[in-house]
Amino acid sequence: MIDAIGPARLALIVAFSLLGLFFTFVSMTGVIRLPDVYSRAHTASQADTLGAGFTLAAVALAAGWQGVGFKSVLLVFFIFVTNPTAAHAIARAAFEAGIVPWTEGDERR
Amino acid sequence: MADAGEAAPKRGSVVVPVESTPTLRATVTHLVESAADGEFSSIHFVVFATWRRDDPDTADREAAVDRLLERVSTWAEADLADADDVDVDDVEVVTAVVGDDEYLFGADDYVRELAAYADEHGAETVVLDPEYTPVGNTTLLQPLEFALSSTDLAVREAPVTRPTRRERLRKEATGIRFVAIFGLSLAFYLALGDPLYPFDLVSGVASATIVAITLSRISLDADPSLPRTPIRLLRGAVYVPVLLLEILKSNLVVARVILDPRLPIDPTLNRVRVIVGSGLPITTLANSITLTPGTLTVRARDGNLYVHSLIPWAREGLFDGSLERWTRFVFYGREAARLPTPRERDDVGIFQGPDATEEYPGARSDGGTREEGDPVDGSVADADEEVTPE
Repeated sequence: MIDAIGPARLALIVAFSLLGLFFTFVSMTGVIRLPDVYSRAHTASQADTLGAGFTLAAVALAAGWQGVGFKSVLLVFFIFVTNPTAAHAIARAAFEAGIVPWTEGDERR
Repeated sequence: MADAGEAAPKRGSVVVPVESTPTLRATVTHLVESAADGEFSSIHFVVFATWRRDDPDTADREAAVDRLLERVSTWAEADLADADDVDVDDVEVVTAVVGDDEYLFGADDYVRELAAYADEHGAETVVLDPEYTPVGNTTLLQPLEFALSSTDLAVREAPVTRPTRRERLRKEATGIRFVAIFGLSLAFYLALGDPLYPFDLVSGVASATIVAITLSRISLDADPSLPRTPIRLLRGAVYVPVLLLEILKSNLVVARVILDPRLPIDPTLNRVRVIVGSGLPITTLANSITLTPGTLTVRARDGNLYVHSLIPWAREGLFDGSLERWTRFVFYGREAARLPTPRERDDVGIFQGPDATEEYPGARSDGGTREEGDPVDGSVADADEEVTPE
């Protein structure tokens, strides 16, 4: 499967993996740093979209246009549809439960 | 379509939201019989519009609704003629289309329109067809009956028998929706498997059949149609890279705010009234907004999206409405995409923070736990509280 990966393609694969790592790291930092459920929902799902997106793009590049590569493209699509839906479900549940979003000056919760 | 007359509602009027269901005929008969028994003096059959008057390409749907209402009033007249103990002129049958001045997103919106109509025409009762789901809107999670319970209207369901499940399934199974869902599922299954391997073919056909039977009614609100669906898919393909670029751009901005402790966040809840249709268009727009970092769709209500924004930059982007224009482009074409930004239309509101323009809205559909007059922002917190979160 991984027989001949040229240097340019290898560089792209590494770059995409690092970008994926970077955005996942941002997402994690955000979940720890941000003050309330709404702002955490932002970063938990959204930064992660790109984190998973870039990682899967790296996988697709490494695997080539067959089997695994094609499936990872489908996975990206799946994540891009389900991620915002899940984020919306969390935010909506929080809103319906009467949680008022954190604003400047509030305590962290 | 007759308009509501000035008939004095001495025996009361009744509003009946209708759509084409297997039990509609029986519901009409039930209402006419109730009226003949002296319960109602006028019956209003109403249909919720799924379009706005100024949408392009709505002629088909308007014509379909007109046909439905015409059928309903013909049935009602026939039933009235059959009822012997009633004077035909004594019972007024009115048909109307409501809600074509804005898009209706959910049960809340339907109930508001219904209550306004009932109020206008002095109706105190709502009778529901047991099979009724507004405009075939399967995305409606909250039952209409439940939302109606918050109004003064008396609600009851017409006591008519539902046809058996089997009949309904068979009816839908012949539809183009079934074929579309079946084809899509099978293509997906075979893309994951091996189209040349007989076992995959057989199990693929079996699973696609099950998926199509169970989901064809849920997944599609309307039949796919020939020029429209492929054109929308093509325009969607144009939209995807635009959205990706937007996501990348916002992600970098938000990543910077998250990683740099010196950059403050300033989250607020905002309202933006969007001009896209219910169902798939509003879902596309809301998901696109959520996918773009810095903005998170919290609620779709009263034709508004409630969007939580992390930083003012993201809020300004939201109020510029580029995603709204793109969604309109995907679903209604280039013409429809030319419209003023939500800010220019004055269709925006900020619920929190120093720039707040409107009162914070409480949760409504579940009765909510918020009281009027709860603090809407952080004004009660210590003024010298740290500004940036650690």
